[in-house]
Amino acid sequence: MIDAHRPGVVPGFVLRPPTGSYHALNPSTKLVLAFAEAAVAFGVRGWTGPLVVIAIVIATATAARVGRSLVPFALAVIPLVASILLVNTFLFPGATDVIARIGPLAPTWTGLEAALQATLRVAAFALSVAVFALTTPTDDLLADLERRGLGRRGVFVIGAAIGMIPRMVERASEITDSQRARGLDTEGSRWRRIRGVVPLAAPMIIGALSEVEERTMALEARAFSAPGRRTILRPLPDSAWQRIVRWVAGLGAIILVAASVAGLLPVP
Amino acid sequence: MNGQFSTRVITLMPVAIAINIVLGVTVQQVLKLPIYLDSIGTILVGVLAGPLAGALTGILSNLIWQYAPGIGGGTIGPFAVTAGVIGLLAGLWGQLGVYRSRPASGTSLWLPTVIAVAIILFLASRIYGNPAYNDPAYFVSWYSTAIVLVAVVVSVAVVAWVVVKRDAAGAWVALAGAVTGIVAAIVSAPISAYVFGGVTGGGTDVIVAALRQGGSDVLNASLGQGFFSDPIDKVITSFVVFIIIASVSPRLLARFPNGERLTATAA
Repeated sequence: MIDAHRPGVVPGFVLRPPTGSYHALNPSTKLVLAFAEAAVAFGVRGWTGPLVVIAIVIATATAARVGRSLVPFALAVIPLVASILLVNTFLFPGATDVIARIGPLAPTWTGLEAALQATLRVAAFALSVAVFALTTPTDDLLADLERRGLGRRGVFVIGAAIGMIPRMVERASEITDSQRARGLDTEGSRWRRIRGVVPLAAPMIIGALSEVEERTMALEARAFSAPGRRTILRPLPDSAWQRIVRWVAGLGAIILVAASVAGLLPVP
Repeated sequence: MNGQFSTRVITLMPVAIAINIVLGVTVQQVLKLPIYLDSIGTILVGVLAGPLAGALTGILSNLIWQYAPGIGGGTIGPFAVTAGVIGLLAGLWGQLGVYRSRPASGTSLWLPTVIAVAIILFLASRIYGNPAYNDPAYFVSWYSTAIVLVAVVVSVAVVAWVVVKRDAAGAWVALAGAVTGIVAAIVSAPISAYVFGGVTGGGTDVIVAALRQGGSDVLNASLGQGFFSDPIDKVITSFVVFIIIASVSPRLLARFPNGERLTATAA
């Protein structure tokens, strides 16, 4: 570790030494990889695309030691996967190869195959984004994107939005509690709950709008709209081979998807 | 271009994105409603700041929702395209002055209402008359009834609003919401069909299943579900935005790029 007391050495909280080989990659490399994985998972039809992506995701997750943290992300797709499996297996348009007849239900092999492929696609996509989110701190990503030319407005919009979500969640629960205390029914019939939307949304949005005014003043007072670029305090490490990886992954994904769509990719 | 992205709009956008995500999660999980309500922020920015800002807010909302630490995950990301289109349309409605309050009486109150209701019923009849849903071979008896029901409920809501508030804007807002919903359904159906096998994991999958039971193919079943859910969702969202804009002081509204189109009283 860095000795912060030695003069001339940047303290650890500024340098933030990376904690593993995958974490240490440049955020943009991980971003391009996540997009490429998502494109291949969705764009290359059949079994190959999703399975290859899942293999890559598992490999990178293991290398980054975030395997355990992936579990909640995997659990989050269960409702969707259950729906995909049920609807497609039992109700696949035009499928006739029935597995078994159970009363009025007639699951088909074609439907099951389509359902499993869709499940793999969804899992591959959700997990590739999850690996990216787990290995990349938001401020690192934004700092790197800013170094690459994303304007400070874009950086502010993305950063502030992510930072604001927890506060907004807190505010939503405060508003829900206050309205319940005043007698709003949030558990009753469907119609009562629909009527509860405005008392929940209105204070939240109007409160947020008045905050916009204060934030605008604060930003203007800090030269937000000044011309010129900001100096990056902490440039994140990048390397020639990572640049090659980004180009190969990005272009490779586009070529693979295009080939698959054009029917030039003879894989199952 | 630059006019749409003043510092004030730049400050509003993250707020709107957070509103989209948090309200979407709250409505779907706390209030447990079968609608999405995750585009209030998008429509708000579109109306206040213009089409580009609205589209960008929608796209970023879904991408950040997918990535957000804590509540991220799921499958919302690919629907960024839909959210972008919703923001773009909201911006156009804003620039056309749809969301401006129009107190009126007599003909100038009733004419827009009749036109709006007529267009809503016409759109419903186009869906109703679509061969994909009323071909005798692929007939789901209650689906067409449900579409008509939606159109009638929306129309009654418009008329009730106009009568109670004496404000012709209600008619235009409902119409804008219904059109946005239909466009959103058309944009999301291919995403849902080709990316997720036609379902989204929500309560609306029941409709998809029923349409498929009736014989619709994957795309048409998703489209049919969208035609059912999206107009309702977007009409509610548009009215929520309209109510909010009406209760924010004109002084505050006028500072946004589209402000004068929302506050001017001349019809």
